[in-house]
Order: sequence, then C-alpha cells, then structure tokens
Amino acid sequence: MHLITCPWCGPRDEAEFAYRGDATVARPAADAGIDAFYDYVYTRANPRGWHTEWWHHAAGCHQFVKVVRHTLTHAIAATGKPTDTLPVPAE
Amino acid sequence: MTRMHRRPAMRARTGGHIDRDTTLTFRFDGRELTGHPGDTLASALLAHGVRIVGRSFKYHRPRGIYTAGPEEPNALAGIGTGARRTPNTKMTAAELYQGMVAESQNRWPSLRFDALAVNSALARFLPAGFYYKTFMWPASFWEKVYEPAIRRAAGLGRAATEPDPDHYEAAHAHCDVLVVGAGAAGLAAARAAGESGARVILAEQDFLLGGGLLADPVHEGWRREMTAALEALGNVVRMPRTTVFGYYEQNMLGAIERVADHLPEPPPHTARQRYWTIRAREVVLATGADERLIAFPGNDRPGVMLAGAARAYANRFGVLAGRRAVLFTNNDAAYATVEALAAAGADRVTVVDTRPLGPAAAAARTRGVEVLPGHEVVGAHGGRGLYSVEARARGGDGGFQIDADLLCVSGGYNPAIHLASQSRTPLAWDSGIAAFVPGTAAGQRSAGAARGRFGIAAAARDGMEAGGAAAAAAGFARRPAFELPAGGADPDLTVAPFWEVTARGKSFVDLQHDVTTADIRLAHREGYEHIEHAKRYTTHGMATDQGKTGGLVGAAVLAEARGLPVEAVGMPTFRPYVTPITWGAVAGHHIRREFAPIRRTQLHDWHVRRGAEFLEAGLWLRPAFYPRPGEAPWDAILREGAAVRRSVGICDVSTLGKIDLQGADAAFFLDRLYMNTFSTLAVGRARYGLMLREDGMVFDDGTTTRLADDHFFITTTTANAGRVMEHMEFHAQTVWPELDVQFTSVTDQWAAMSVAGPNARRTLAKVVAGLDLDNAAFPFMGVADATLAGCPVRVFRISFSGELAFEVATPAGYAAIVWEAILEAGREFAIEPYGVEALGLLRIEKGHVAGAELNGQTTAADVGLERMAKKKGDFVGKALAGRPGLTDPARPRLVGVRAVAPDQQIRPGAHLLEAGSDRSLGWLASVTKSVEPGGWIGLALLSGGAARHGQRLQASFPLHGESVEVEICSPHFVDPENARVRA
Amino acid sequence: MSAPESRPAPEPRSPLAGHLKPGRHGAAGSRPLVLREVPATIVELAARRGRAAELAAAVRGALALDLPPPGRGAAAAGATALWIQPDTWLVVAPRGTEGALAAHLKGVAGAAGSVVDQSHGKTLLHLAGADARAALGKGCRIDLDPAAFGPGRAAVTQMAQVGCVLYQHDDVPSFSLIVPSSYAIPFFDWLCHSAAEFGYEVP
Ligand SMILES: [Zn+2]
Repeated sequence: MHLITCPWCGPRDEAEFAYRGDATVARPAADAGIDAFYDYVYTRANPRGWHTEWWHHAAGCHQFVKVVRHTLTHAIAATGKPTDTLPVPAE
Repeated sequence: MTRMHRRPAMRARTGGHIDRDTTLTFRFDGRELTGHPGDTLASALLAHGVRIVGRSFKYHRPRGIYTAGPEEPNALAGIGTGARRTPNTKMTAAELYQGMVAESQNRWPSLRFDALAVNSALARFLPAGFYYKTFMWPASFWEKVYEPAIRRAAGLGRAATEPDPDHYEAAHAHCDVLVVGAGAAGLAAARAAGESGARVILAEQDFLLGGGLLADPVHEGWRREMTAALEALGNVVRMPRTTVFGYYEQNMLGAIERVADHLPEPPPHTARQRYWTIRAREVVLATGADERLIAFPGNDRPGVMLAGAARAYANRFGVLAGRRAVLFTNNDAAYATVEALAAAGADRVTVVDTRPLGPAAAAARTRGVEVLPGHEVVGAHGGRGLYSVEARARGGDGGFQIDADLLCVSGGYNPAIHLASQSRTPLAWDSGIAAFVPGTAAGQRSAGAARGRFGIAAAARDGMEAGGAAAAAAGFARRPAFELPAGGADPDLTVAPFWEVTARGKSFVDLQHDVTTADIRLAHREGYEHIEHAKRYTTHGMATDQGKTGGLVGAAVLAEARGLPVEAVGMPTFRPYVTPITWGAVAGHHIRREFAPIRRTQLHDWHVRRGAEFLEAGLWLRPAFYPRPGEAPWDAILREGAAVRRSVGICDVSTLGKIDLQGADAAFFLDRLYMNTFSTLAVGRARYGLMLREDGMVFDDGTTTRLADDHFFITTTTANAGRVMEHMEFHAQTVWPELDVQFTSVTDQWAAMSVAGPNARRTLAKVVAGLDLDNAAFPFMGVADATLAGCPVRVFRISFSGELAFEVATPAGYAAIVWEAILEAGREFAIEPYGVEALGLLRIEKGHVAGAELNGQTTAADVGLERMAKKKGDFVGKALAGRPGLTDPARPRLVGVRAVAPDQQIRPGAHLLEAGSDRSLGWLASVTKSVEPGGWIGLALLSGGAARHGQRLQASFPLHGESVEVEICSPHFVDPENARVRA
Repeated sequence: MSAPESRPAPEPRSPLAGHLKPGRHGAAGSRPLVLREVPATIVELAARRGRAAELAAAVRGALALDLPPPGRGAAAAGATALWIQPDTWLVVAPRGTEGALAAHLKGVAGAAGSVVDQSHGKTLLHLAGADARAALGKGCRIDLDPAAFGPGRAAVTQMAQVGCVLYQHDDVPSFSLIVPSSYAIPFFDWLCHSAAEFGYEVP
C-alpha cells in the first residue's frame, strides 16, 4: 500500500485515494477538434518508469494530488498540487 | 489438568522452556495425550513418541514432524472442533492448550492405513504436470469424472462448515522502527533502537521471544536480560504470536497477531486474531534463517528431521526426537545437534559428514561420537517410522545400514529472505554460505542470520548495529551499546554446497507438494527451464510452506540440469503471504451485514415498520415495495403505481445525490459541466440537466435549481452521486482552476420525498405553510421554501412519474415528522407509500430514461435528448459526442415496446429481432408490468428508432428459450403531451 | 427564494435515535471509554476564490475564531472550526435554533464566503478515555500517537470504510468524530465493536 503525501493533509495511506490516471494530458481548447480531444481522452504513453499521475484524495480533503510514481518499483518521487510542476527523475 | 500423568517416554526430566509443574491434556486423532505449557502440539506429540502425523499431498506417503517452526511442510493438523476448527495448522507452531483437539489430515481412513497410498505405487503415472496433461481430454469428462476424483484425492485439510463464531479485527500501527523477528539479532536491534528513543515495534511469530536463543541454553541469561530490558522500555511494543506476512510499498507491512489461538476460545469481547498493518519509517528484518534439506532417497520418512529442529526439541522442549540418531550434514553448525541430543539422553549419534574430516568432526570424535567424513546418506528406511539409515562413501557403490530411529539433516542455512524479496530488495549470492542474502533498501535493512550473519554473538552484534542505524535514519541519535552475549564461540558457518545424493528412489525437494528431484528434471526436459516456469509446472515451492526448507535445493537441481550455477538460476519471486493466514482475519469486522457500511435514510425505520422489502442501491438500502400481508410482489408494485396514477403516492427519494454549488462562476461552471444551459435559469426555478462524459457518452442526469444568482442546488442519480462529485472536483481543480466555485455534498443534509399523483396538490396544500401551491403561483419547475408541520421544507415542482408531483425536501432530522404529516394529510385520498419498483414502473410508463438506458454506452441522441445540447460554448463531451461513430443515424435509439399478448413477460436484456432473423436490431433496457397501458411494456434501444413504431419484432431471450412478439411504439406510454405534470 | 415563516422547528431526530443504548458495555475494565453523541450545529464555510484572508478576518472579528490551517482545529467560546479542505472549514457549535448559525455566518462572510448548513447531514460523536487511540486504531490509518497527533489536530480521513472528520480535544485523549448521517449507524456499530475490548460507557 502506497503512502502518498497529500500536499494538504500530509502522508496518507493509499486506501484514502482513488487513482485517476495520467496527469500529463491537458484538456484541449474547446475548438481544438475531435482528434485533439480523442488524444486527451484515449491516447496514453503507458510508460515503464516515472509517471505523473492524478490521485484523488477521496477519503480526505477531496483534492486531486499530482504524484510522480515509478510504475515498476512503485517508488514515489514527488507529490504536489494541480498547479505544481513536479520534477520527474531521469531514471 | 489435575490428574496425575506419567512422564512421556521421550521427555527429559529437566531443561527447556516448558512448565513441567502444569500438565495439559489434549487429543490427537482421538487419543488423549499430555503436554505442558510451553509445548507446541508437535513437541508434545514427539514426547509421546508419535512418529506419523500426516500423509503427503499427492502420494499419501506417511510423514513425520520435520521442523520445529512455521517452515513445517508435513505436520499439518485441523485444530479445534465444530465451527472453530482450523485446518492446515502447523503443529510445529501451534501452542498447546488444555483441551486442544487436533486431527491429522490428508489421510483416509486413518493415519496408519491410507487407502490412497496406492498413489505412491502409481507414482510413475503421476509425474509433475500430470493433471495438466492427463485430464485435458475429453473435456466432457472434466466435471463429472476427473474433478470429483481429484478433489477427493487432493487438497490439504478441510474447512469448518459452520460460520466462524469468533470475531477478527483490523488494527493499524505506526512506528519509527519495526523489527521483524526476536532472535538474537532482533532483540538487539529492538533494544538499540528503543534506547535511542525511537518508537519501536518488535514482532515475533513465536509465543516466546528469543528465536534460536530458545534452543541455546548457553545464552539463556542474555536472552532473559534482553527481554527484561525491552519490557522496561516504554517506547518498545513487543508483539509475540505475530507473524509478519507481507511487505508492501513505502514500508507498510502486514501482520497477523494470533490473540487467542492459544486458548480454547477467545475471552469475551476479544478478537481471535488481529490483522495489523504496520507503517514503519525504518524496518529491520531479523527473520533468521531456515535450515535446508538435502535431497536423498527416502528423505521424507517419518523420523527424518532437520538437524536444528532436533536440537530445538531437545533444548527448548526437553524432548528427545529419537534415541539412535544419525546426523547428515555438510556444515559444522549442525554438530550442535549432537551435543543437544546427547544431553537429552540419546543412546548414540552417528555423524555422516559430506566433507573430509574437519575440526568440528575431529572434536566430536574426541567426545566419542562416531563420525563418517566424506560420506553421504543414500536411503532412509521405515514407512511407519525410521529404523535404518543407509550410508556410503560419497559417490561410491553399495552402502551400509546404520540402525537409527532419527535422521537429522542439515544442508546449510538459507537466510529467511521472503520479506526482503517481497520488498524488491536486491538479493546477492553468498558463496560462503551457498545462499542468497538481501542487500539494503531505502528504509530497510536485514540483520543477523537473515543476512548470513550466523551464530548468536555475530547475529546480536549485527542486530545492535542495524537497530542503531535504523533509529538514526529515523532521526534518533544512537545511545551507548549494551552487553552482547558472552561465552560460546560462534561456529564456522561456511558450507560446501551439497544439494542432492544421486541414487535410486524418491528424493524430495518439496515435501508438502510431493515434488522430487525427478520432477524438476522432467520440467527441464519438457522445456520449463526458467525457475518461474519450473515452479509452476512442478508446483515446487507453491505449498503453504513456500519451499522454505527445499526451495533452494530444487533450484540447485534445476541449475545442475541446465549446466548453470545455482545463483544464475535464482529463486522465484516470493510473494505474500510468508505463512498462510486465516480468511477471517483478512475480512475482520467487515463480514455479513457489516461487509460494507449500509447507508440508511432517515425514514428507514418507518419503512421497516411498514414491512418494506428492501433492495440495495449502491450502499443504500431502499424500499422496493411495501407488500400487504399475503400480497405478491407484482400486486404490491402495481397497487402502489396505480395509487400515483389515480390519486396520490409518496416515495422516499432521499438517496438522490445532492450538491450545493456556490460562487461567482457557479452558473458558468454548470454550463461547462452540462450539455444544456444553466446560466439562463431564473432564480427559484429548476431545470432538467444532462451531463456527458468527455468521451461524448451520457454520464448522469438530474434537476438543478437556482437558489440565488451565485447559488445552485444540484441533484444527481443515486448511483452516480459520488462520481458526479468527483467529476466536478476534477474539472474545478485541474481543468478550470481559475473559476470561483465552491461545492459540497448535501445528500445527507436533506431528506427528500416525492408526492405524486392527481391529488398531490390537494394533499400538500393541507400541510404546507408559507407557499401557495396553486398552478399559477407555483408552476411546473418552480421551487420555493416553506414550512410543513413546523419544519423548514423546500418544495420542488418536479415529476419523474408523469403525474402532477412535488418533491419536498427537509433537513434530514425532520424527515419523519414531515413524512408522517403528509401521510396524515393524504389519508382522505388513500395515499400510498411507493417503493423503488413502482418508481421504476412509473418512469418507464412515462418514457424517462434511467440507469438501464444511461449505461455508459448511450449518447444523448440515442435516448432522444439531443435537442438539449446548447449550440454555443464549450461543455464536457461536446467534441467527442460529434464523432462519426456517435452520430451514426443507424445507432439504436430509444423506443417503447409492448408485449403483443399483454400478459406475456418480456425481460431486460432480450434482443429485438425480425421474425426469422437472428440479427439483433437492439435490446430491451427496462421492462415492467404497467398500470397504463396495462400488460408488459419496456424501453428499448433499437436500430431505426422511431421509424419502426408500429412494427412487430421478436424479443428473444435465448437463456430462457423465449421469444416474445412485441410491438414497437413511442416510449411515452403516458401523457405524451405532458399535460398532467403541468396541471 | 421566499422566506419561510419563522417559528421554532421541532427537535430533529438523530440518525442514531433508538440505537444508542445508555449504560456500560463490553469488557469489564477499570477505565472504560466514554462514547456519546453530541447534538450539534455544523456549518460548512468556504472562502470564495482569493478571499480567504478577508473571510478569516471577518470570522475572527465576529466569532473570535481563527480559521485554522490544514490539519488543525481551532476552538473559541461557543464554536470550533476544523479545517477540512483548502479554504474550507466545518464550524461546530452546540445545537441551537435551526439554521441560525448558518445565517449568522452568511452574514459575517458576506461575499467572501460560501455557507452550507450541514447540521443534519453530519453526526457528531465523542470518544474519550485512555484507550481511545487503540480503539480508533482498529479503523483509523492515521498515526494518532502523541508524537504525531495531539490536542488541536484535525484530520479528514476514513475509518471502517466511512469518511470521518477527526478532532482531538485534549490529552485524555478525547476525540470528536464527525461522520455523514447516513453512515452513522454502521460507523457507530464499528466503534462500539472496537471499544468493547476496553469496555465503554454510553452516558
Ligand atoms: Zn488531502
């Protein structure tokens, strides 16, 4: 079970969070067209390694937390608020 | 406990950690025996000279006690009676208690005679992979022939059939330093960390602290001093009887505390077991080492035992496991067993040492022990108890017999790396001990025998350093050291690797799953070369002991077959659970009606009193219908529905999701979230809204009310309340964080009840104060605050049934008062409470879509709501709703369906076909018996949609062998002009 | 919206009505826990975007209450504020006139805050006693040890699958536990079950 540091609540057990997918994609502008929205909704890199993800602190402060997590080792390098830009380790 | 009992034959007069002043009686396979506090079931049985304690899994070979701990492969018992019976309990770890009832397993009809032992004679037909190969064909035989036969023959113990009367619970703990294992290293680590001021948990699977020290009388003084010192430290929590079974991310470890397994039944209000999750900043794994077996023919005979186990029985339990012993070893450490057996009264010990004469062997000889250096054991004889060991010069021909009733085996020691392996700590091969040892990882280190630091003094020193380092890493300065154990030099623990004696006969590498060296070689020949493949093919190491004694030996046999060093073949990945745990402990409190929390509305008790049948909606319990005595379900549902159509009904709709939304950008935010527009909604008015997912499919629907310019009250479906909230949070926080919006769930704040039917206004007008309900003053989709029976209410003129209807919301604590007042007011109109089933009936008749139609695969156009889409401005789902696949005019569209013969049942999920065709044109989503028009009707999604109104199709339901003729019609069976709701 | 007529509302019914059994329960110990429901007014107060400081000042002026930072609660005479979300607090006070505290806070906050009455939607329990941490630890995954938590600390978490706002009052220790009212019964049942080992008293 991960221990995820919510930027608001501090370290909390994974059981309090809901995984909410890739945080590297941004919603396109309204007039960006179907292809841009298609990529936003469906196209994912699925990396083996560091990945920036959304974890919703559903059983806590209800905030979406950005988490840089290693998909192989499950190590967590950084967490932050939606507006934060988090450094992603090289390897 | 009061009767006098003779001392069992194999029990020494003195010594060990047992209380001889107290005698416990217990039963094993119906026989009454005795033991003492401090015994395990295994030690008590050995004291009575019991040799056979079980039959093996596949061949049903007789088996004896093999170890003195949880690594035991053979000695499994069902312990307890009736509902408290626990199968597959390791006798070697089961703490004896007064009145224990234990039964051996996997034998039929008895231990001494087992009918299925014929499997052993058929062994050449039962190779590894047998089940996969043999029972593949013909497939039709599987269910009726193969499976019942295999089930009878295979499997370990049997579970109790009654519900477990005991309770189990979860518990969560946190610490700076978790020390796993309380042997020399663990005790020292815990004390070092504890004296630094860190919060320490010391978890030990045994009921006594000490690990290997318990079999070592020389260091007993130090053990006592250490346990006393730990007890005195207020910041150290000692947890005996606690098995740490799993190592998870970020230093979370799972453990089972056997709170009351050593008692006939738990004390009142006490859990039998506790499932701990322990979150530690630093972890010290002081899990010790497991002695490994040597593969040789007959190495599974009752009377063959690991050398360390024989020593533990002698020194810890005062039990002599055999009088005429042979020790088969490739290392010096095992010679300690010779001394222990001699001290416990063995007649003779002969040592078969695979190595040339070394210092330990020479020393033993000077004490008069017969030592055979450069020899190996090639056979063990005695199906019901060992009587002879066959030995020979290594690699030689022939052999000679040694009269023996105990054969102690030591192939060296494997650090217990299971937890370290689970944590993905890198493992390295240590050629000195011929075993894998763990490295360190962030927040974790191994200590003592768990990383190859064998011997009491070395392990204690290593533990002290590890405990200090862990505390320092957790931010606690190290303190001065304490005394380490004195006296008794540590033996040399290097080994010459020795895995297998090559000779004719079955040499086991996995005693619990009956895997032999030949099986491993077969796996290799058949191409299962990788250790993970060979493991699955042979099931080597997959039994409840996880291959603790023979895992590496099997890997070595595979390595030899592949021509590789064993370290290149490696070990399969270890996974939780290190030892088996009870399902009850995993479930904890959350069983039966507590499986998941049940949400109740404030009217729940009323529904119960009224005799409602309930159904689950998410976590909620909702009344399905309220049957009168003797009334059939459909009769009740139709009666309730008819009351609404003809007079008035009332329904508890408190479970609908409710969200309070405020902020300067609230209206703008709603425009973005919903397909339709809310910024144009007037204060005091409600509007139906449809919400899409970003992929263009319909997500949820509900009415939203504008309470003020910057204040809205949103309702969602019961099922999607949480998801809609999260959807809003996602967009407010991550997509449009610049918006000024605040929203929160008020689902539980407001109870809500729908009052529907032609007499709804007349009913409410009697009790609503402060609001004119007249159509002109309070038109359809109006919303206003009022009072009812002195309680504040908010009245919404909205309808789900197609009838004149009002939804009355009140702060939940007033729900019962308001509900009763409306019922009283409606009495003259014969008001009926109606449940979810009638609610569904009414909405199907009206053609309102719900969850069955909004199933995540339908678009707004599919359900006939495409005209709601705003033309201007962005909203979630707008772009992808325009995809060609979603705008294809051939997509199934919402239609109504009625059975041509009204009494003929139609079913949701039925496919709609043209007569004589097997091509599905669509499917039935919702069905009901109806009040209007009467008979079975439904809502369907049908290719062609409205163009098929009037057509006759077949509603085909192959699972029931049904095909029902139906007529396609408008989905609005009731009042298509919407006159009633506006009346 | 039209104003409803103003006469005192009847006494609201607790979701635990009929479920709380006053008396001594569980194991017979010398130091039982004390578990009770506290009738309360609970109002959710959120700052409008960018106006948290303005809201805090208004609340401080009117209630002498400092809206606390994340992870904390703040008590003043008559009301306690608990941080639950960024710029969002629960204001907890003894039960008073229906809607009065919400209306008062709306007046205080003005356009700087959003106010939602949650008095009926949330149920407040109080647990006190030397073994309170151990009882809560059977469901609470937060470290409640004095080294990590203490008087004045608040947390939004979940216990036994139920979302819960937790606040520690003192070193007894005593805790306030605020749960959604529809979950009050299963939460209370779990809490009783967890406390039974130590013995507990419902006053
Ligand atoms: Zn949080």
